[in-house]
Amino acid sequence: MFDDRTPIYRQIADRIKADVLSEALKGDEQVMSTNQYAAFYRINPATAAKAFQQLVDEGVLYKRRGVGMFVSPDAREALRSERRKSFFAEVVDPMVAEAKTIGVPLSQVIERIRELEG
Amino acid sequence: MKIEVDDLVMRYGATTALDRLSLNLEGGKIYGLLGRNGSGKTTLLSVLAAFRRPTGGRVRIDGQPVFENARLTERISLIRDGGATVELGSAQEAVGFAEWLRPGFDGRYARSLMALFGLDPKKSVSGMSKGQRAALGVVMGLASRAPLTMFDEAYLGMDAPSRYAFYDALLSDYLANPRTIILSTHHIEEVASLFEEVVIIDKGRLVVHEESTRLLSRGTAVTGPAAQVEAFTTGLTVLNSRRLGPTTAATIYGDLDEARLAQAAAAGLELGPIPMQDLFVHLTGERR
Amino acid sequence: MRFPSRILGGNAVFALIGAAALLTICAGAVAVITAFGNTPDSAWEKAAQAVNWYSLMVGISLAQSYLPVYLAHGQTRRRFGAQAAVAIGVFGPLLAALVTAGYLIESGIYRLIGWSQVLTRPHVFDEATQVPLVFLEYLIEFLAWLTAGAFIGSGFYRWGLGGLLTIPVAVGLVVLAEGAIGTELRLPILPHAIGVDVPQSLGTTLGVGLGTFLVGLALTWLIIRDIPVRNPKS
Repeated sequence: MFDDRTPIYRQIADRIKADVLSEALKGDEQVMSTNQYAAFYRINPATAAKAFQQLVDEGVLYKRRGVGMFVSPDAREALRSERRKSFFAEVVDPMVAEAKTIGVPLSQVIERIRELEG
Repeated sequence: MKIEVDDLVMRYGATTALDRLSLNLEGGKIYGLLGRNGSGKTTLLSVLAAFRRPTGGRVRIDGQPVFENARLTERISLIRDGGATVELGSAQEAVGFAEWLRPGFDGRYARSLMALFGLDPKKSVSGMSKGQRAALGVVMGLASRAPLTMFDEAYLGMDAPSRYAFYDALLSDYLANPRTIILSTHHIEEVASLFEEVVIIDKGRLVVHEESTRLLSRGTAVTGPAAQVEAFTTGLTVLNSRRLGPTTAATIYGDLDEARLAQAAAAGLELGPIPMQDLFVHLTGERR
Repeated sequence: MRFPSRILGGNAVFALIGAAALLTICAGAVAVITAFGNTPDSAWEKAAQAVNWYSLMVGISLAQSYLPVYLAHGQTRRRFGAQAAVAIGVFGPLLAALVTAGYLIESGIYRLIGWSQVLTRPHVFDEATQVPLVFLEYLIEFLAWLTAGAFIGSGFYRWGLGGLLTIPVAVGLVVLAEGAIGTELRLPILPHAIGVDVPQSLGTTLGVGLGTFLVGLALTWLIIRDIPVRNPKS
């Protein structure tokens, strides 16, 4: 279920972030409890709680005492702008590097991008 | 339940199983107890469960000595080898006996677990296979609902699907009824994600007691061109290093600060966590 | 503390079935003997000796089977010891009552046929119909054998083969109890080898019998008071 490269709690955090970005989780929507996450991923609830704490620290989630965890209303916007900042470094640069390594001309890559934009 | 172990010594004749072992567990968590064969795991758990009186040292649970302390032992369950069932009767009679002896035992839950593990309640315990006995032991431990429940390789002989059924049952019962659980196991990778804290002992002594995510973060796999890896790992604790052509993969133990991380990124090195099993192997070291 | 009903329940049912089986075997034996034209002595008197060995086995199983289960289920050695003592204290009289009842049944049947119920061994009683004396004799005997079994069982559980050393002590217990009852030792292994000649008075019989029982319990407690639960083989 998990790749071995990143700690489990970070993978959970990443998944919740992905859900927020895709709007599967909307602003002020309640997320599943740590216990539900723990049972689903077969992990210790403290580990799941750690993922949630990380998201609270990053401002993606907020806590309502006695009720649970909710998605911050501005979480999606914040995540989008954060991702935009690293987009070129993390997505475009490696893609270009890979294209060079395997000998795909950049003109073809650009062509493909235009096609997709349609 | 809070567990305090001070300078615990256990000798069997000339063999020293526990060698001044000290350990504190605050309780209410799932602990993994790891150690090689003969490291003293079984002996430690036996002392915690008042199965044995130690040769020396002190064990306190919730602040009280445990040996022959009925108020404590009623709240402690150690499962090994079929969970010590009366071999004169059937599985359901064994459950009945447990219900009778243990005030907190949940017979209904036990019967539902027997169904989960495909145990025939009418089958006689002495006629059971190793796997079935192990499953019955696991049933006894879970249904004891003891505030301190320990499983000592209790799932030895259970096949993979049954083991996973056990992990799921354990986790969901722990979530519903939080308590202190200690698991000793050889199937480290299967259960590692259940541990909140890990205790590693070797030759009767404590090697590591740490939060499990913290322990995992200590181990890092460094992969990249041999020269760079070598330069980066100089001065660090290298647990293991393997080379494949121009690439070296090294396992290091210890915290990496921001500067180190930046250095790795600059050198084009790939960093990743390592499985708990590998950490365990490295920490308990040399072949015997 | 709870009454050890779980230990007693299973054993009592088995004892009842066993007694019925023993009666049937006696009837069969008597039938065979009469078929050869002889008049039999009391068959039950001989059958009752099997109950000694059964008592020994029950005593052993208390230590071997129930002790580890008690400890594994969070009970203390003290509590097990008390429950085992109560179990023996109830089970001994139960067995003695069954044997006494057997004598009465036999004596009724023999009288109907017109035989006399000849006893071939020394007893505290002269007639099998002296219910209190019959009961007392077998009670002392079974309590001793049960306790001896618990003692041996504990020794073997604790020390493995080293438990062999408990056997002479257990034999001593049984010899003492037999001595309290009469002059003949009903030990198949050591017939007449050791004689403990206790003057025959009901008071001595009672005192020595009870004393043996208590000494046996105390000796067993010395073994189990800090007995470890065995480690699983691995």
